[in-house]
Amino acid sequence: MSLEYAVETVNLTKVFGNFKAVDNLNLKIRKGEIFGLLGPNGAGKTTTIRMILGLIKPTKGVVRVFGIQVEKERRKVLKMTGYMPQRFSLYEDLTVEENLMLYALLYGYNRREARERVKELLEELFLEEFKDRLAGNLSGGMKQRLALAVALVHKPKLVIVDEPTAGVDPPLRRYFWKYFKDLNKRGVTIIVTTHYMDEAENCDRLALIFRGRKIAEGTPLEIKRLAFGGDIIEILLEAPSPPKLEGIEGVKKILESERYNGTVSIKVLVDDASSRLISIVKRLESNGVKVVRGSQVYVGLEDAFIKLIGEQAQ
Amino acid sequence: MILTALIYKDIKQLLRDPKTLVMVLLMPVIVLVMFVAGYGGPGGNIPIAVANLDGGTISWRLISELKRASAMGLGSFEVVKTAYTFEEAYDSVRKGEVYAAIIIPKGFTEEVFLGKETQVGIILDASYADISERVYRVLVLTMQGFQQKVTEKYGGFTFNIYRVTIYGPEVSKIDAFLGVVMSVLLHLVPMSLIAVSISRERERRTFEQLIMTPISSYDIIMGKLLAYMIVTMADTFLTLGLAVYVFKVRVVGSFLDLMVISFLILICSLSMGLLISVLSKNQLQAYQMAIFAFIPSMLFSGFIMPAELLSPKVKIISKLLPLYYFLKAFRNIQIRGWTLYDNIFDALMLIGETIVFLLTAIKLLKLRVE
Repeated sequence: MSLEYAVETVNLTKVFGNFKAVDNLNLKIRKGEIFGLLGPNGAGKTTTIRMILGLIKPTKGVVRVFGIQVEKERRKVLKMTGYMPQRFSLYEDLTVEENLMLYALLYGYNRREARERVKELLEELFLEEFKDRLAGNLSGGMKQRLALAVALVHKPKLVIVDEPTAGVDPPLRRYFWKYFKDLNKRGVTIIVTTHYMDEAENCDRLALIFRGRKIAEGTPLEIKRLAFGGDIIEILLEAPSPPKLEGIEGVKKILESERYNGTVSIKVLVDDASSRLISIVKRLESNGVKVVRGSQVYVGLEDAFIKLIGEQAQ
Repeated sequence: MILTALIYKDIKQLLRDPKTLVMVLLMPVIVLVMFVAGYGGPGGNIPIAVANLDGGTISWRLISELKRASAMGLGSFEVVKTAYTFEEAYDSVRKGEVYAAIIIPKGFTEEVFLGKETQVGIILDASYADISERVYRVLVLTMQGFQQKVTEKYGGFTFNIYRVTIYGPEVSKIDAFLGVVMSVLLHLVPMSLIAVSISRERERRTFEQLIMTPISSYDIIMGKLLAYMIVTMADTFLTLGLAVYVFKVRVVGSFLDLMVISFLILICSLSMGLLISVLSKNQLQAYQMAIFAFIPSMLFSGFIMPAELLSPKVKIISKLLPLYYFLKAFRNIQIRGWTLYDNIFDALMLIGETIVFLLTAIKLLKLRVE
């Protein structure tokens, strides 16, 4: 048991009938990070989250949240944890304020404290002017904000949000991420599932889940390196033919080279772009090659994601 | 083509909810089986008392004749009690031990031999007007047959039957039906209403968020019970008040006692509904189960006819049904004018069943979304 982790899963497995939704998943989510669970639909993200929260019983394995075993002391865990489910799960026949008040009271605030906390949240999430509207009559984005408010009503140390931005317009998506970053700065650990790759870039660390198994884990940069085996740089040279690069320190592979009007463009896989780019360019220039331009090729997570999944699927 | 596609889709959907389907398809079969079990065979005997003040040979013959008489599809008389005085016989009808008592007068044998006119008495319980009417008719027919046989052997005699009615004079239909109406209002309605409460939360997924708060299954069950109790209680007392004060349905006992016993069946029905709610996966299933649970109550609790007259096998089922205790106590208070204290056993049974339902529901409600 380690206290540096907000969430730790050990050999977590869930079997539905003869379908393995989650297969021996080991996650270590550190306190204070924004951790992304990434994966295509049906990969087992929601099932994993539900097991972390004790909403479904694992077939095998253990979950610990802040060192507390969920299956044994779920109530203790719930007091520190906020959850925003993938689909709207609040009472559509209660108003925004009534929903919030209900949850504030259920988490143990007295009436006065609850009213204060609800007021705070209504302001923070710009729900003030809709507070008397029935939750069922809210637009998608407003519903999401209300759901987030409910997840935060008891000031949890860990917030788990399941696809918070599915079906949400871009401005609100941006707002949500800004809000998550702010929360995170206040010391809240956040676990978020998504299949939007641009959003995943915002996470401190990611786990890529595919068919119930973890196929990669690390920072977005680490994941990209894992996918391609390193960084990619592109160098444009004035030369009749591509120079020899093999054997230069840090160079792993020549990915492609193109000749065009007396210039050559080469894509090279290196172990670390930030240190190797300059050394390679210098080496070429000292060999008498004229380098026009050298830069790191930006690789999106999406490319990495598709590459990793493609390798797995084979 | 459109129509077949729709039919195909709906049949598929029906087949994919096997629990509901089984209930719907098996319902007629089970109802029929239950009906035959309860009403098809020889029914339970009608318990009567006999006060044989005579003790002569002819009086014993009459008694064995009475025992053989079939009570028009209700089974036979069963002499469960022998009384030695008129008062004793009267008392056992009043206490509800028997539905009727037959009084054979002193000197009956002698009067028959002498060919004189004799007076046979019957004490009837008017709170079960239907039964007592039948009992009376059977007695008359039996006496007529008996008269013929005796006349052949010993020469003619005449008889008169005088009747004494307890809890009478007459119980009107509406008086007799108040208990049945209250059963539907206090049992079926609240039970099916609350039965969908938890499955609705599951279906609308509000359950998933709710169980993220540090609440227990005790909180959920008791919260629902009390909320629905507050809402349905007003309705109960309104109905009861309307019947008694506006429609002038006769209530011999105390109105307060009637309210207490009504309240007890109400919370018992709600608890039973909650158990159904915990056991069902969706709202449709919950509704079906509530109706399903009501069928034995309708057949075996005294709703249609007194449970004592059912065949002995199903009497055991009767004793498991909350409605059986309610109807018994309700009629005793309403028509016989008994007090709640006289019905304390029934009241305690209702409370006991309520506790069992609630504890089972709390135990079975899992705070999970699987």
